[in-house]
Amino acid sequence: MVDVNKLREKAKEVVSRDDVRMLIGYRPGTYGFRARPAFVQGPDEVDELIFTPACVNNLASYIVLEEKLPVPRGEEPDLRKVAVMVKGCDSRALVQQMEEKAYDRERILVLGIPCTGVVDMAKVEARFPNVLERGEIALEGDKFVLSTGGGKEEVAKEELLADKCLRCRYPTPLVYDELLDAEVARFADDDYSDIVELEKRAGAEKWAYWEEKFSRCIRCYSCRNVCPMCYCEDCVLERLNPQWMRRSVDVSENTAYHISRAYHLAGRCIQCGECQRVCPVDIPLMELNRKFYKDVEELYDYEPGTNAENPPLLSTFKVDDREDFIL
Amino acid sequence: MAENSDFEPNIVAFLCNWCSYAGADLAGTSRIQYPSNVRVIRVMCSGRVNPLFVMNALQEGADGVLISGCHPGDCHYMHGNYYARRRFNLMRNFLEYLGVEPQRVRMSWVSASEGAKWKEVIEEVVNGVKEVGPMDQFKRRQLNW
Amino acid sequence: MNGKPKIGVYVCHCGTNIAGTVNVEEVVQFAQTLPDVVVARNYSYMCSDPGQALITDDIANMGLNRVVVASCSPRMHEPTFRKTLLSGGLNPYFLEMANIREQCSWVHDDPIAATEKAKRVVEAAVVKARRLEALDVKEVEVEPSCLIIGAGIAGIQAALDIADAGFKVYLVEKSPTVGGHMAQLDKTFPTLDCSACILTPKMVDVANHPNIELMTYSQVEEIGGYIGNFDIKVRKKSRFVDMDKCTGCGACAEECRMAGRIPNEFDEGIGMRGAIYLPFPQAVPAKYTIDKENCLFLSKGKCGESPKCKEACQAGAINFDLQDEVVEFKVGTIIVATGFDIFDARLKPEYGYGVYDNVLTALEFERMVNASGPTGGKVVMLERGKKKKKKEGEEAEAPRMPRSVTFIQCVGSRDKSVGNEYCSRVCCMYTAKLAHLVKDKVGHDCEVTIFYMDVRAFGKGFEEFYDRVRREGVKYIRGNPSEIYKKGDKLIVRAEDTLTATPLEHETDMVVLSVGLCPRSDNREIIDLLKLSQSSDLFYLEAHPKLRPVDTASDGIYLAGVCQGPKDIPDAVAQAKGAASAAMIPMASGKVKVEAQTSVVNEDTCRGCGFCVELCPFSAIELVEINRMGWPVKVARVNEALCKGCGACAAACLSGSIQQRSFKDLQLMPQIKALGVK
Repeated sequence: MVDVNKLREKAKEVVSRDDVRMLIGYRPGTYGFRARPAFVQGPDEVDELIFTPACVNNLASYIVLEEKLPVPRGEEPDLRKVAVMVKGCDSRALVQQMEEKAYDRERILVLGIPCTGVVDMAKVEARFPNVLERGEIALEGDKFVLSTGGGKEEVAKEELLADKCLRCRYPTPLVYDELLDAEVARFADDDYSDIVELEKRAGAEKWAYWEEKFSRCIRCYSCRNVCPMCYCEDCVLERLNPQWMRRSVDVSENTAYHISRAYHLAGRCIQCGECQRVCPVDIPLMELNRKFYKDVEELYDYEPGTNAENPPLLSTFKVDDREDFIL
Repeated sequence: MAENSDFEPNIVAFLCNWCSYAGADLAGTSRIQYPSNVRVIRVMCSGRVNPLFVMNALQEGADGVLISGCHPGDCHYMHGNYYARRRFNLMRNFLEYLGVEPQRVRMSWVSASEGAKWKEVIEEVVNGVKEVGPMDQFKRRQLNW
Repeated sequence: MNGKPKIGVYVCHCGTNIAGTVNVEEVVQFAQTLPDVVVARNYSYMCSDPGQALITDDIANMGLNRVVVASCSPRMHEPTFRKTLLSGGLNPYFLEMANIREQCSWVHDDPIAATEKAKRVVEAAVVKARRLEALDVKEVEVEPSCLIIGAGIAGIQAALDIADAGFKVYLVEKSPTVGGHMAQLDKTFPTLDCSACILTPKMVDVANHPNIELMTYSQVEEIGGYIGNFDIKVRKKSRFVDMDKCTGCGACAEECRMAGRIPNEFDEGIGMRGAIYLPFPQAVPAKYTIDKENCLFLSKGKCGESPKCKEACQAGAINFDLQDEVVEFKVGTIIVATGFDIFDARLKPEYGYGVYDNVLTALEFERMVNASGPTGGKVVMLERGKKKKKKEGEEAEAPRMPRSVTFIQCVGSRDKSVGNEYCSRVCCMYTAKLAHLVKDKVGHDCEVTIFYMDVRAFGKGFEEFYDRVRREGVKYIRGNPSEIYKKGDKLIVRAEDTLTATPLEHETDMVVLSVGLCPRSDNREIIDLLKLSQSSDLFYLEAHPKLRPVDTASDGIYLAGVCQGPKDIPDAVAQAKGAASAAMIPMASGKVKVEAQTSVVNEDTCRGCGFCVELCPFSAIELVEINRMGWPVKVARVNEALCKGCGACAAACLSGSIQQRSFKDLQLMPQIKALGVK
């Protein structure tokens, strides 16, 4: 676990630099065990920064989502670096963003945090409901220690660990300017057993499974908004002309939305799990993303967000790509 | 699935101008008879076909979709069919995962000289979709206002 | 013209071809109910003059601004009806065709089903027509000049043809002389005419032709632009010899301290040269070149008291201060004629090339039998690398001639183990030719054996020549040798005669490996410059294997010679002449039409991810920086002169920002909707 004093010291050094505009990190949330993003503009703000297993957000999203307000006439745009704290999974978003030329490497300053896993806040809240006073989560050995004013409790690590961490291949960031702690070796992998199980079911059964999920969708677009890969100026899925899908919330349009969203992430999703985390109606979006991830890996030996020099998956081909499905 | 033998599926096909569309034309000049269930949209290259068109067609009422291009190495635009092959392999697997039977999403290579193959492809696709029945579950709700 | 759509629908009977099956009246009635359709008619032959007049009259009288013709395949009559629209004063791209013949009446004999399908197809055409846009038919001017890269026989022939036709040619050659591989050959199969005798006059011609600017010892560094307007940058490497002063007398080379110590590339290393050299006596231009890596003065800064070549040169041509020169010019077309490398026989270690002195490549052997080659045309046993040990004044022992020579065919060809599946097409015949030359030069008692897999004597006069060589006593053994080893002063070729299934240990003095032709090891340079594609054998890829064998995917860039795939001299010359005439078409007409149905980017929504840039087979898209509300952002931009209108970019764009004209999402999606409905 990264030492918080070291983290703040480093943050202070970074935000004091002339060529750095701000630092995106984490600070405690307003209640319970939550943490939330912090946008640190100056050295006096660094004392609120933390890194704990509650720091679930993928901060890479904010780099591409930050609105570029019109630059007033006669002024220059502020092109200084943005510093960002990233876990292993978050760093893959940076790699993928750079593969997609969202920005040049020198535009960001990356503080890498080798990650031993974060919690699934839903699991925490199920176990400790209605905690209003601020609490803290720390990892000690193979246990999460949750402390509030009311006391301290220990829970086995795997009980609260986020699902994405249970499948994480890259706990240590793949891109960084500075690593804030010792590297963490891979402690998990994805065996896709649930995906394979679902694949095997009959067509009608699968449709029914997904119809139930998609029928819950309220088309709030949270999954898209939080995604570090979804940052088009004008999302094609909301456009009216041509209209790929109606805005009305019914199962056909919702299904179309989810097909489109998942397909747009094929070969791009870096498995940070943010979409599913923010879904207010608990649609298992990662089961869609992981299906593509698995196929892309099996068919094309391609893993998004691991090498910024890779050509985009669907902008390239091999002459001997599989074609046994073609008549 | 559909036991109703009267079911005549409706299939939307995207054909590249240089090979498959020419192959379908050749079937015509050769007076090769085949089922009338397939309606064709001509594009210049199979690489133009966005896999989301498949979803769109199914939503608009098609029971199946066919994308047909030049054989590997023959693409008029060098590589368009290779891009199409990647995209549709992924989309087809994905739709199958959602419960859309693979018989509904088909891809073929038909060259300008393969009028007879075009007929075979059509028969294969039509029979395949007949097997799995109408695709009503994804149909767009009709608006009446 | 882009106001509210007013569509005319014209349903063709095509005699009974359509009307015999499809109820055209019913289709017309249906069409009249479709949105924005102001008139729908049927006529016996729409493509006839009166048929076309129906359309132009309605354009004039009813103010039509979109036309749908339901008839035969657009592959048949789209150009016809586009012209009709044009003559009626409409942009030709306001036409949409519905194919109700080839893909309807001719393939469905049930009138009800055929009519139903025809209606759907017409509806799809109408809804697309509503969204059609006027497109510009653009032309670009063509600079009447051609860059030819590579001055082997293919480049030379193409240059002469184009220059003779009156166009300017820039002929760029990497090495100090023109001539290429053909200049290294002694005789040519199957006619046995002397290679130099037929080549050197052409070499002299390219040097003297008023329309050809020859740049030897030069390399193309940059190529920009597109057909008609390529911007070229060429680096002319310094020879350290003033080309204007050098008389080619050779006094310098005799004096060079390195003379005889550097393997001469032209002689495949069998002969030696100095640091200042002429690759071979008939080299064009006949000017000396200093190889700066080996020149003592240029590489070490010191050559005895002073460079002897400089003293020897009475013309004062040697100038160690000469620098590379970079020249820039514009051309309209480009021919790539960069040739090949021979297969590196070291990649077949079982044959002992590079280990045994008398295992040679065919090209080394070719130099040896060449009268102007390093041995003066004598076939002799080689003692490689021993020259230096020879003491001064010592009389050289007369070299021994081999009593038996063995050839092995298909070395590096038809061999998956080295990654070359293809046949090199020349080895069977050059092997036969060399076998003949052995008999000719060494004597008929010299035993000549050829190990082969198949003999491919497919060309004009080839089979006859093969027969002749066999009659001369050359022994052909069908079998692919597995190993060569040395026993005493003999080489033993281990093989199996596959016709009799007999294992052999064949004893011989000399082994010649009939190495195949390979893509040049520096192919990448040209690929990067011109964005050429390669076929699976890694030679450059032609635009179509049958019908466009000299074109590339990029307009204005053509291929000639072996760079496109193995071929012999007549084939290389034929292709060069083909490439020359292909290049002359746009140069002669002075302008070329460019595709109108190109892609176009919405720069407001493009996020600059570069997916389209990466996939475009024609390198027609680039990322450019624009100012978006004060911020520098990158967006894709299409070079319309390069775009061929495939639309692959449009299908890859996540934000729908790049669209193909006439095939935009908002033009295709109404079609999908019309055809999706039952």
